Amino acid sequence: MLVLRRKIGQVIQINDDIRIIIQDVQNEHIVRIGIEAPSDIPVHRMEIYNLIQAENKSAGGAAALKWLQGANKDDSPSDEDKYD
Amino acid sequence: MTESAHDYAEAFHFPQGLAGFSEAKEYGFIYEGQGDIMCLQSIDQPEAAFLITPWNEKRLGSVPALSADLSACLQVDQPADIIWMLVLNPFADKEWVTANLKAPIALNSQSKLGLQCIRQDAGLDIRYPWMAQPT
Repeated sequence: MLVLRRKIGQVIQINDDIRIIIQDVQNEHIVRIGIEAPSDIPVHRMEIYNLIQAENKSAGGAAALKWLQGANKDDSPSDEDKYD
Repeated sequence: MTESAHDYAEAFHFPQGLAGFSEAKEYGFIYEGQGDIMCLQSIDQPEAAFLITPWNEKRLGSVPALSADLSACLQVDQPADIIWMLVLNPFADKEWVTANLKAPIALNSQSKLGLQCIRQDAGLDIRYPWMAQPT
């Protein structure tokens, strides 16, 4: 992992089109950062993204289509049908 | 990678993919006559398939607001072109099919672009009881 020291107002540039700007440090613990990125680059808090990712994997998969087709209405999906 | 055997009436491009399925970007719809529930399935990776249903304003209130960045990503011309859908999970609960209110899907019916929009409001249910499990 690359670790950088930055002051408030300084910027980290990633590729040509992503910038991370240090905006503020509150109570010596909370860092406010601004992120400029192209609109097709998803930027999320990791803990929330991980929740959505896990829920998508729980909800999605071949079992979802089987459920819709009525083949799997009364059963939990088999291990083969699920990702995790 | 396998290709789906379905012949989709229309395809939507998801430039960001869906969380956990970021490589699958082209999706089609499959309707099997189950009320207003459809399957959103990746055309290139059919194992990426989700049950979706339209946002219900009577139950949930107004559709979510679309930020400027997300509007740009969806190439929104008219807000009325956006169709909001919920991802359903029939496997999380024995009694209920749940709906993910935290990350609904916005579809631009004109540009044929789609996004799963992760909402920041901490009070939103990921597993909102949407409908009883079919018997």
